[in-house]
Amino acid sequence: MSERAVAVAFVVSILAALGLTAVYAAGGDPQVEGALLLLALGGLGVGLLGWAGGLLAHLGEHTEPRRRHPAADGDGDVAVATFEAGVAEVGRRRLLARLLAGAVAALGLAAVFPIRSLGSAPGSQLARTSWRRGVRLVTADGTPVQLGALELNTFTTVFPEDDVGSADAQAVLIRVDPTSLQLPPDRLAAAPQGHVAYSKLCTHAGCPLGLYLAATQELRCPCHQSTFDVLRGARPVYGPAPKPLPQLPLEVGPDGTLRAAGDFTEPVGPSWWDLPR
Amino acid sequence: MSAPRRPREARLLARLVRGGLLLALLGQLAWSFRPSSSQALTADESLGRELYLASCSTCHGIDGAGTELGPSLRGAGPAAVHFVLSTGRMPLANPGDQPVRQAPAFSEREIAALVAYVRRLAPGGPEIPTIDPATGDLARGAQLYLDSCAACHGAGASGDSIGGGRIAPALDRATPLEIAEAVRIGPGTMPAFGERGLSPADLDAILAYLLWLRENGSRGGLQLGRVGAVAEGLVAIVVGLGLIVLVIRLTGARA
Amino acid sequence: MIVERVVRGLDERLDGGSFLRRNLTKVFPDHWSFMLGEIALYAFALLVLTGIFLTFFFQASPEPVVYDGPYAPMRGRTVSAAYDSVLRLSFEVRAGLVMRQTHHWAALLFMAAVVAHLLRVFFTGAFRKPRELTWVLGVLLLFAGIGAGFTGYSLPDDLLSGTGLRIIYSGVLSIPVVGAWAAFLFFGGEFPAHALLSRLYVLHVLLIPLVIAGLIGAHLALVWRQTHTQFPGPGRTEDTVTGIPVWPRFALKALGLMFVTWGVAAGLGGLVQINPVWLYGPFVPYSAPSPAQPDFYAGWLEGLLRLWPNWEFHLFGRTIGTLFLPAVVVPGVITFVLALWPWIEERVSGDHAAHHFAQRPREAPVRSGIGAAGVAFFTVLMLAGSNDVLAAFLSVEVDTLNGVLTAAVVVLPIACGLVTYRICRDLRDGGGHPIARPGRARVRRTAAGAFEVEHEPGGPAR
Repeated sequence: MSERAVAVAFVVSILAALGLTAVYAAGGDPQVEGALLLLALGGLGVGLLGWAGGLLAHLGEHTEPRRRHPAADGDGDVAVATFEAGVAEVGRRRLLARLLAGAVAALGLAAVFPIRSLGSAPGSQLARTSWRRGVRLVTADGTPVQLGALELNTFTTVFPEDDVGSADAQAVLIRVDPTSLQLPPDRLAAAPQGHVAYSKLCTHAGCPLGLYLAATQELRCPCHQSTFDVLRGARPVYGPAPKPLPQLPLEVGPDGTLRAAGDFTEPVGPSWWDLPR
Repeated sequence: MSAPRRPREARLLARLVRGGLLLALLGQLAWSFRPSSSQALTADESLGRELYLASCSTCHGIDGAGTELGPSLRGAGPAAVHFVLSTGRMPLANPGDQPVRQAPAFSEREIAALVAYVRRLAPGGPEIPTIDPATGDLARGAQLYLDSCAACHGAGASGDSIGGGRIAPALDRATPLEIAEAVRIGPGTMPAFGERGLSPADLDAILAYLLWLRENGSRGGLQLGRVGAVAEGLVAIVVGLGLIVLVIRLTGARA
Repeated sequence: MIVERVVRGLDERLDGGSFLRRNLTKVFPDHWSFMLGEIALYAFALLVLTGIFLTFFFQASPEPVVYDGPYAPMRGRTVSAAYDSVLRLSFEVRAGLVMRQTHHWAALLFMAAVVAHLLRVFFTGAFRKPRELTWVLGVLLLFAGIGAGFTGYSLPDDLLSGTGLRIIYSGVLSIPVVGAWAAFLFFGGEFPAHALLSRLYVLHVLLIPLVIAGLIGAHLALVWRQTHTQFPGPGRTEDTVTGIPVWPRFALKALGLMFVTWGVAAGLGGLVQINPVWLYGPFVPYSAPSPAQPDFYAGWLEGLLRLWPNWEFHLFGRTIGTLFLPAVVVPGVITFVLALWPWIEERVSGDHAAHHFAQRPREAPVRSGIGAAGVAFFTVLMLAGSNDVLAAFLSVEVDTLNGVLTAAVVVLPIACGLVTYRICRDLRDGGGHPIARPGRARVRRTAAGAFEVEHEPGGPAR
């Protein structure tokens, strides 16, 4: 770059920086600020690069010797010998050395325990949710779901009435034609009048299944595209999920609302070690 | 987003078959409707009938009961008819094609006529919704949109693939009425959201939010199609890193 | 003069004079590709500066508050204090949004520069003895950068980042035997635990930046002490280093590069929207947005999850989580192979000598082939991680695209590797340039009417 080009770059930088203060004082605007920052910082940078690359090119390149990395000068051997002599000196008092090792190990063990404070024990939390027999199904805004309120071939997200917004108890309620459901008899009975509910957590990575494909009556995960067949017990038909979605058994309460008939048929979400097969 | 193209021959053949079929049907029609063709059809309905017979009956049947090529229109309703016609999804060039948005084949008056005729031919189904996005509650609309629509259509209404060969379209071109109709009828693989689950006020709120999004929500600058991290990463690597390397090379660093 | 007094003072107390004398004239080889690592360094500096600004406004709290700021679609909605503070930073704090977006763009630039730098070092063999340790520090920096990016991306407590956290939680959960405990201890309980946000915050603003700063310091110290590699050329030898001295040329250049990097990041920060959390909405555990991708440097992990078959194994009557192989084992193996590469290559090639010349890729066809295979592998995985966006963009079925990508993730690396190997080998053996100048012939008609043909043979491009 020529001297003139470098000068232009610096002038642009100065003007942009001054403009920046003016814009800031006037209340600011993200786009103008960004453009001016680009010019102010970029102008400075381009000027400096041009200065070093163009105006100082006559300084040319220099050559200097590299620092050698000799391993043969014996320094290493001397160091090893010194260290080992020290070890031998300390190691002569064998009992003390062992006690020292024991003290360090014991302290290390004691220092591990605070890690336990970081979280609760998993226990059986992962294996069950807050659904119990008789708990009413409510939508995200807390409205109980009446039998028949849901239109055919539509879906909604439901929670236990006392745990709205729950991360593990969330379920999708879908109303389908009862004759089209292909479930074992006991699970068919848990889907009154074609109202079938499954866990909303994908069995792959635990994303909420937000997509209901009405044409094929499939639930699909927006994260990794696992797809579950609603009519056939939500078994996976595509994608990386290995297991069907657990079903939430339903019954109809005396007030005509849908209620849970128990917890999910299986633990919800992705599989883990303690999951019995 | 155009449907996958078929080979030219297949399209030609389909066109020939369709043309022949249409001629045969029209002939039969002319015959069967000899004596009392219009049983007190309004002028609108008569126009609709004319258009229907020419453009729709091949697949959906003269009586609207459907054929092997297309579904029955019973229970489809005026909202669905208006939606597919005004977004150009119907009529299809080939019965097997994916319906996609394109320029409508009919004028507004013709669409109204077709809606009227199909209403008489195959009654029932959702009526064209009455909407008033201006009265919609923006905040409620945002929440409803994110909870019920964003999983398919994208948080920025950019549209996305949803599998099974389907694409949930971007919502930046459809008119509010078209969006409202789609919500109520559930075109393609989209579930229908009836008034019991989504009140007219809720629908207006969603429309208000979508209209607001078209003009707003871009305080940060260029939006990169609102597709998120994929576009952001591409810009960072190509534009960001590319620009810096370009400056290094142009300002006289030795190559 | 002040400089003179400072130097003299240092010299008298610390013998700083000799240090300065040696290092101001220290030379650095000059090649544009040697500056990629520097870009990462300057991006990190900018991340620290903008990040400090952001900490003055961000609140790492999941406590519910009612948003009442200027962003109309969220007004009246109950959101976490963290999300609320990010909206306030974006819409109310003057220059807040530029700072926030610049921070995010700088993070992407940091990772892009680290990856580009890694590729440069790999393909030129600059990691060879005696610089193996520098390489390992660089690989650690890459993964520390992924950690910094991920924790930062999760802080705004929006729907998109919440989805990402959920997947990480599931990945930790999948580890055999200790998975549930590890997930509960790290996340503070069953997802989404109350304690998580403040933990991520401490990791993001304290622990990981300290680790990165330490790694960068050690990395640079090694580069400084061992001197930089250089390409062979006239007058250059293994025992000498030829380049520009630190003062003034290298320093001015470095400073210039720093400002250009900052300018590009800030320009993007003001002009191109990134991570618009106001569109994604606050985190709720029962929704997931779409398209849902992590930042690009985690795209390969996302791709692994999307393409991996739906296998589930059982052992001793227990379950090995579906995510264990794609989310834990495969990335772990990749990390180890990458970190130990200098020793792997040394063992396989039997070359235990120290090297100070950088190689051209053709000089090591096997390594270049493996590198090309790796690039192809990660590229396909990144495409797979964006498959829904890609399918919509290309108007193809995402399920079809997945089939293509699944085949490509196996076939393409092998093909790219073999082709690269062959090209490099032929170039090395032929000594030619990939683009050859064609031969020419000149036809002249003599005065007598006869034709004379004059051939000019082809050769390497000039």
